[in-house]
Amino acid sequence: MTNDPDLPAMTYDPELETIDLNINIGPQHPATHGVFRMVLVVDGERVEDLVPHIGYMHRGAEKLSEHMDYRQAIGYQDRTEYLAQFNAELCYVQAVEKLAGLVPPERAEYIRVILAELNRISSHFMFLGAFGTDLGVFGTSFTYAFRERENLLDLFEEVSGDRLMYAYFRPGGVAWDVPHNFVERVKWVCDQALIGAKDLDTLLTDNEIFIARTLNIGKLSIEDAIDFGASGPVLRACGLKFDLRRDEPYSIYDRFDFDIPVGSNGDSYDRYLVRLEEIRQSVRIVRQAIDQMPDGPILPEKLPRALRPAAGEVYMRCENPRGEYGIYLISRGSTQPYRLRIRSSSFCNLAALKHMTVGHYVADAVTILGSIDIVLCEVDR
Amino acid sequence: MALVLWGLFGVDMNVWLDAFLRLQLIVIVMTVTVMALIYVERKFVGRIQMRLGPMRTGPYGTLQSVADAVKLLTKEDLRPATADFWLFELAPYVTFVPVFMTLLALPFMEDWGVRDLQLGLFYIVAVSGVTVIGYIMAGWASDNKYALLGAVRSAAQLISYEIPLILAVLAVSMVAGSLNLNDIILQQDTIPNALLQPLPFLILLTATLAELSRRPFDIPIGESEVVGGPWVEYSGIRWSIIFALTEYAGLWGMAVLGSLVFLGGWEFPFGTSGFWGDFDFLYQMALVFAKSSFLILTMMLISATFPRLRIDQLMAFCWKILLPFGFLQIVINGIVLMYLDSEVTRDIALFATSGALLVAMAYVTYLATRQPSREARVAAMVAARSIQ
Amino acid sequence: MIGVLKSLTATMGTFMRKPVTIQYPTEHRKVPERERAFPILLWDFNIDEPFCTGCHACERACPVECMTVTMRDNPLFAEGKSKRRKIIDEFYIDYGRCMRCNICVEVCNFDAIAMNNTWSGHELSTVDRKELILDLDQLLDLSKRKDLQAWDPAAETRASTEGRPQPPIAQVGATEDAPAAGEPLTVAERSAEEQDSPPTP
Ligand code: SF4
Ligand code: SF4
Repeated sequence: MTNDPDLPAMTYDPELETIDLNINIGPQHPATHGVFRMVLVVDGERVEDLVPHIGYMHRGAEKLSEHMDYRQAIGYQDRTEYLAQFNAELCYVQAVEKLAGLVPPERAEYIRVILAELNRISSHFMFLGAFGTDLGVFGTSFTYAFRERENLLDLFEEVSGDRLMYAYFRPGGVAWDVPHNFVERVKWVCDQALIGAKDLDTLLTDNEIFIARTLNIGKLSIEDAIDFGASGPVLRACGLKFDLRRDEPYSIYDRFDFDIPVGSNGDSYDRYLVRLEEIRQSVRIVRQAIDQMPDGPILPEKLPRALRPAAGEVYMRCENPRGEYGIYLISRGSTQPYRLRIRSSSFCNLAALKHMTVGHYVADAVTILGSIDIVLCEVDR
Repeated sequence: MALVLWGLFGVDMNVWLDAFLRLQLIVIVMTVTVMALIYVERKFVGRIQMRLGPMRTGPYGTLQSVADAVKLLTKEDLRPATADFWLFELAPYVTFVPVFMTLLALPFMEDWGVRDLQLGLFYIVAVSGVTVIGYIMAGWASDNKYALLGAVRSAAQLISYEIPLILAVLAVSMVAGSLNLNDIILQQDTIPNALLQPLPFLILLTATLAELSRRPFDIPIGESEVVGGPWVEYSGIRWSIIFALTEYAGLWGMAVLGSLVFLGGWEFPFGTSGFWGDFDFLYQMALVFAKSSFLILTMMLISATFPRLRIDQLMAFCWKILLPFGFLQIVINGIVLMYLDSEVTRDIALFATSGALLVAMAYVTYLATRQPSREARVAAMVAARSIQ
Repeated sequence: MIGVLKSLTATMGTFMRKPVTIQYPTEHRKVPERERAFPILLWDFNIDEPFCTGCHACERACPVECMTVTMRDNPLFAEGKSKRRKIIDEFYIDYGRCMRCNICVEVCNFDAIAMNNTWSGHELSTVDRKELILDLDQLLDLSKRKDLQAWDPAAETRASTEGRPQPPIAQVGATEDAPAAGEPLTVAERSAEEQDSPPTP
């Protein structure tokens, strides 16, 4: 018996002489996608209570950004959301642009949208692969997904110079222009991504074992999802057609024609389906964007050497692969933000974990955690 | 080596010496096979996943298993301070010995096994059931909650799947009218049992995967849930005994058993008397090798493809689907064998009933796993898609 | 049952395809010209001295404060050979801290620092992290050996801004005839034109 207030209370039934088992999953565990810890109280195999522990990955990215100028903080956005770096950067630079009144040129907008959508594809591939591994596929789904993610990372490397920490978007545009073969490369990568999506579709979608493991596991109703502040695929899987790209178009998303896939049941299977479909929709957006992309400058004509936005505050939110990613900035007129706050999508989605897991089996706890698709750096910041 | 060959060709010698030499031969062959199987699995799964697999050690990585063995043997053999010393140290051997013992009864070629047992099939089934004790010992002794959970899971799983396995081999032995493996093989000179009894063949394949805790039935050791289950605290040589020897020797033994009992072993399709006179045993060995390789590759393909089942689904599959159909098969076999005398009609009846049962089982599984609402959801999503 | 068989067709299908992995330490992908590994300093071959004047701009701009710069009077300036009044004295970059953000390259007014775009910038594992603190000689070494791949982001951006055709960039991951490592630096070639009006520190 423990009196640790952090741990859930164990129940003890004197008549039955049974005792619940406390199982500690994480911080080092193959299924926790980083350093996440959850303590399960299990009765046999059934989860009776769950206590998540976060904070193992806290690096103080928000506080650090207060001591940097607006350009230096870009690199920290990559490291906060390390699977959808372009999306995080996009949100951040748009917040700064709003604050400083910069208007990026057309070409830069297109480059940014193309890269952000490709990054959404790569992030969803990461989810598909890791989700399969959580369910016990012997690395096959993982390598299928990584094959495609690799193509995308190659492209990102050719454009930005780095495979993960791009630091490529700038307030007002992008750091430098894309390579001359960018258009063909993007088209090729899109074709490959569809092939990869099809492979994973064949491997998993209709597989009875996969269905048995995910269908009706971790159900979330629309009301609960909204109450928890869930967003992104977790929310859309419940059936709510809410996508910031359509409902609150930022950048140039209002120029493209795309569907918003929604589920109906809010379970792990729906979350999987929604993400698989979003890959196809992102390909669609990228193909439209690459056709419309104009020539021209990639940074505004007059760009100050050091940004000094006027005092004020701004909240910018974007639809990231994991949901609504928000940047709240306060400026006091200096070169450094007075306050930078990140609204993390994974954190809010993770809040629903206990609600979804209690009553399921231990194996389902892993499935549900995988289906939320968290990025621990983003949760802990 | 010469002595062993004398034994092969039936030259009289002291019965204990003979048994000892045959045992030695099995140990050597088993070790080599296990190493080869590890390499084959890694390469095969690698190619499925569009990877190269091991490439560094030796040409095309062929020495990878040797390197692994050296690494495992030189690794520190850790034991948790709170572990139960004797149970912890003994558990790997308790797991491995039954697997090895099954190998002793297998006739790898005509009249050549370590021992030709009259109740060979019975012996194999009985002995292989002991493995589960090792799992429970390891899980209990490790003093680790993951290990305990894995041990309890393995107890449930291995004992449950023992029964369909027994039913499957029982159905075949009914057809053959014998529990002696040599007799069962000789009886398949024209039609292998897999054709006469497709349902038990399928049940045997499934139950084998479950007995060996291979994916999709690796629930006891599921690494994304219980991180290796009973074996989570093991390392070094003890772990290599479990992982390498038990798992792959078991895979090999079960595949050979399947190829002997269901695929006609060295008898089908050309009969025992081969073309090379005294060297027939080579041809027989090659035939068994080919058939068991086929089974092993099939199992590897299956385990590389599917997600892991959950423990309740696994149990439901065993008790609600495999078991009733196994029993039905035995009852029907009894009726057919009782009332049909002519060999041809008997074979046709066996094939027809077993095939019908197989179709019925597939249909029941389909009904049990069907989710109309899911299909509607997928269809709706595909319909909403403007590009394909 | 059907879905299970469908899954098997997927795995059997990929079994037939060609593997996509390569043998990494013996086989290297070609890294793109704009690869950003770690910052290094450039060598001015015209005057035989570093471009860097030790102006501290990069040191101040570095988000993780991993650089240490000191300057001294340039002896070659006194002799009239060089237009740089000050020159770098000591320069340390701690690669263990650097987050490869490219900011030091962007703020440098003398184009004295560049990101290493060869494999040597990636294969840096050591047993002691002190070995990751590089001094001036080590930082200049790669440039002196002319091992960098040619790439000029400023020229490319300028070209696209002014609507001129972009400078040719070798296609990545492909052809043999692409300009490979070992070609002279365009940055070094450009130095003459830059020399005309160097901002004094
Ligand atoms: S900004 Fe350039 S010139 Fe100044 S110290 Fe840094 S590298 Fe040297
Ligand atoms: S790349 Fe960034 S972190 Fe590294 S030395 Fe330059 S400014 Fe500092």
